[in-house]
Amino acid sequence: MNDNRRQVLEMLANGKITAAEAERLIAALERSGTHGAGATAMSEADKVKYLRVLVDTKDPLDGPTKVNVRVPMQLLRAGVRLTGVIPASAREEVNNALRKEGIAFDINNVTPQNLEELIEQLRELTVDVDNENTKVRVFCE
Amino acid sequence: MKGEILPPMTATVHVKPAGWRHGIRLWVPLFLFWLLLLPLAVLALPFLFIAAVIFGVRFWASLRAGLSLLAAFHGTKVEVENANTRIFVNLH
Repeated sequence: MNDNRRQVLEMLANGKITAAEAERLIAALERSGTHGAGATAMSEADKVKYLRVLVDTKDPLDGPTKVNVRVPMQLLRAGVRLTGVIPASAREEVNNALRKEGIAFDINNVTPQNLEELIEQLRELTVDVDNENTKVRVFCE
Repeated sequence: MKGEILPPMTATVHVKPAGWRHGIRLWVPLFLFWLLLLPLAVLALPFLFIAAVIFGVRFWASLRAGLSLLAAFHGTKVEVENANTRIFVNLH
């Protein structure tokens, strides 16, 4: 048992905090402990591996249609590696073209390190589109 | 999945066209296709190298990136199914 947890339990025993408050504090301590170790020592198994797209639609002509697509995230990583070999002059042209379209994006910032952070954020992403005839679900696993 | 350096070697395809009672299951040996493509790729390498030099692209880095892109297709799955038709494609 670590010091912080003991301190919380002592506060609970002394009646300084309620059981519910102690529970919340301990949960917060556990979360911070997991994040501290997890950010650096994330195993290969924990990484996001696939982007999934599930579509379930009821077409009046073809009847119910199901689409299930699984795209490996490795494809995204490989794509970013491919952008790394674009010559500097071409990168500048791409940036200019994006700026012209009103997209303030610098492709020089697309690096494998940034991509890992992005993919990690995608873990939390779930897009659900649900209407009368169509259901679309996009998520990472 | 990490560490895959070769392109997908096999694919499984399951097709059931409209009006068919049973579908067709195919095991596609993609490695045969890569083997056929290899001599052509070797022949094309000098030309690609010259093109890379002319356009200022790092040749070996591009080659590695291209191969890793192909290798990244491992695990791709596309399934489309409705009442009459079914198409499943899996790359291994």
